[in-house]
Amino acid sequence: MKTFRYAAALGAWMLASPMYFLAQNVPYDRILHSANEPQSWLTYSGSYNSQQYSALKQINRENISKLKVAWIYQPSKAVSNLEASPIVADGVMYITEPPSTVTALDVRTGLRLWTWSPTLPEHVVSIGLYATSRGVALLGDSVFIGTADSHLVALDAKNGAVRWDVHVADNAMGYAMTGPPLALKDKIIIGSAGSEAAVRGFLDAYDPKTGKRLWRFWTTPRPGEPGAETWGAGAYESAGATTWNNGSYDPDLNLVYWGTGNPAPDFNDDERPGDNLYTCSVVALDADTGTLKWYFQFSPHEDHDWDSDEPPVLFNASIDGKPRKLLGFANRNGFYYVLDRTNGKFIAGKAFVKETWAKGLDENGRPIPAPNQEPTLGAGTLVYPSITGGVDWTSPSYSPDTGLFYVSVHETGAYFIKGTGKIESGPPKGIVGGGGIRALAGEQSYGAIRALVATTGEKKWEFKMLAPAWVPVLSTAGGLVFSGTDEANFFALDASTGKPLWEFFMGHSARSNPISYEVDGKQYIFVTAGNTYLAFSLP
Amino acid sequence: MRVGVSMTALRGSRCGVFVFLAFALVASAAGPFAAATQDLPTANPLPADVEQGKQTFEQRCSTCHGLDGGGAMGPNIQGIPMRIGAPVVATTIKNGMSGGMPAFGGQLTDAQIQQVIAYLLTLTRKDSGAVTGDAAKGKQLYGVSGCASCHIIDGQGGDSGPELTKVGALRGPGYLKTTLLYPGSDLPQARVFLETGGLLDYMFVHIVTNQGKTYEGTRVVEDSFHIVIRDAQGNFHSFQKSDLREFQKEPGKSVMPSFKETLSGAQIDDLVAYLASLKGAQ
Repeated sequence: MKTFRYAAALGAWMLASPMYFLAQNVPYDRILHSANEPQSWLTYSGSYNSQQYSALKQINRENISKLKVAWIYQPSKAVSNLEASPIVADGVMYITEPPSTVTALDVRTGLRLWTWSPTLPEHVVSIGLYATSRGVALLGDSVFIGTADSHLVALDAKNGAVRWDVHVADNAMGYAMTGPPLALKDKIIIGSAGSEAAVRGFLDAYDPKTGKRLWRFWTTPRPGEPGAETWGAGAYESAGATTWNNGSYDPDLNLVYWGTGNPAPDFNDDERPGDNLYTCSVVALDADTGTLKWYFQFSPHEDHDWDSDEPPVLFNASIDGKPRKLLGFANRNGFYYVLDRTNGKFIAGKAFVKETWAKGLDENGRPIPAPNQEPTLGAGTLVYPSITGGVDWTSPSYSPDTGLFYVSVHETGAYFIKGTGKIESGPPKGIVGGGGIRALAGEQSYGAIRALVATTGEKKWEFKMLAPAWVPVLSTAGGLVFSGTDEANFFALDASTGKPLWEFFMGHSARSNPISYEVDGKQYIFVTAGNTYLAFSLP
Repeated sequence: MRVGVSMTALRGSRCGVFVFLAFALVASAAGPFAAATQDLPTANPLPADVEQGKQTFEQRCSTCHGLDGGGAMGPNIQGIPMRIGAPVVATTIKNGMSGGMPAFGGQLTDAQIQQVIAYLLTLTRKDSGAVTGDAAKGKQLYGVSGCASCHIIDGQGGDSGPELTKVGALRGPGYLKTTLLYPGSDLPQARVFLETGGLLDYMFVHIVTNQGKTYEGTRVVEDSFHIVIRDAQGNFHSFQKSDLREFQKEPGKSVMPSFKETLSGAQIDDLVAYLASLKGAQ
């Protein structure tokens, strides 16, 4: 444990802000029953099912045109890539500021209550990523963050004091944490990034009280373990399959669902024959033991950098008249999948953007490869979607009111070029890409919000945008879908028709999950843009 | 790979970058940032440095910026050393920048960074053909053919077309000749430019409002809800797309006239020779 880490509690708020905060205590039961308190936002995606849905409806189709900025928070030093989805409970909002600062704000005003920053090494290794943070987890009276140099830290939710700090993985080898932890009853789950540095991925569980590691699931199998035959000799050790975003949890099945990243090197597959399990997959793990219950690999033997790190969306719906526990996933490879989340069986799948690499999916959901779609030497091969995928990490949203799955899509292709891709031992010197891409430009690319029928992937409507966007989606019981454009518009659409109802130019594109919360009887919509955190409300 | 770097917002402080007599010149000579002539990188880097820069770029930069620098998950950076100056680019590579660019200061040496910049400079150069005309005669032709009403050379001229002060360093005689004869034949692609947030692709736009009023001009900036164009008189017009009855983009159409019928072949060659001689401050 690092002793030189410190907490900086700010006192100014005490003078500036009335003392109306409740005692911070969010036990597991509150997260478990988050549907009972829509005024809060208790996990990265609002609830364990990662639906990015708010049951609040004060802001709705009829009054959305009156939505205004209520307050803005700006970090004390200029930062960027504000990708943190805040946690909101009992009048306090917990956000992160890149790379790994945690800040508590008053949800009514945006005034800062306390802030904490780790002491990071002079050179944090961040290969194939930028050192940002998508937020914290809150459990009991502790806040948890994974840092850019791969520490998991527990802070006192009231003042930011460090409770414990564990070194999870070696940053010098390329491990870096950008995804938020997920708090379960008695475990903090967290993964790591680093596939482009050719690290071996894992997912960990820690004791919230002590920081003791309770289990680790390696996302690539060792020789002798099931799935080892899907790799070339020794390739599993520098394999990628990192777990750099948030996951989901089904408390009834006691399963944790988490997406995994690309194999390394990205574009040169010479040294890794086979399907390369469990890259580009969703894995379902027993929450108590970390044991693999099932997996579903979206892109076997992937070589276009199409990670599968979007949070899996859990929802229940009828299929052929029978109620089913489902998992929806709009994958970076361009296909939308519906799985049975009890066993990982494929139910339905359909391309949600133009794709040229597969002729379709077979009865098990495995792609049927199209010929000549591999990265090639020289000018490369034009493949749809591009390296950015049909969608990358930005969360989709599912509305139980409409049964629709809303996703911000990228309609574009790229020339994929194969290069040399030898992985060297020792600390990485750069991206182990094994090639590269040339993207299509300008008018050849566009973005859209698409509404898919969640049980089939059939497109119900779309709202076209100028450029592919990197903005997650929120749907609400007010009949609204919130998201943003790459050009900096933040907007609301009619959840049933896709008709634009409201738009606000923020000066910079949004980059975090839009979320919603309520305090003093007033609903807020919250999102980040550029160097700012913005809360919107009705006048 | 986890990424999320934006192609950058389309909105910027850019004003007056429009094309009338537009050379498709590019990206590089154009725009208000072309003024940074004092920051030109080291002249004449050795081929070995360019090659080394290419290797470094492909290994460290191309995953986000594309192998041709045209952007992918990160923004288009083609021609950027010429527009904002090599020192600024070097500092940005070292320190990173807002929007997701990591700091490479601890990973690349100053020499490696200069090699990358030397390579970046080769990415936008369209170098073909040979000079056959008389540059002095070409300069006279430039003066009497109306070019200066839309193009700036050394601070003189109109601002609606791309600046030409350094065009000879960026475009070879073959490209220049083709553009004089067929102005819309090789317009820059509609990629967002990092430092302006603007679209320097000279997209011709035809608009009819719901009130029935017609506007034509070149796109200055556009987002998913709005567009601003600049007409032939240099006036800006801002529209909400929901207020438009017609909104058509006409890629490949340029408002710059062709000189195919108005100048002789020899005169075209002279004009090309003059433009090719414009290399900016060295």
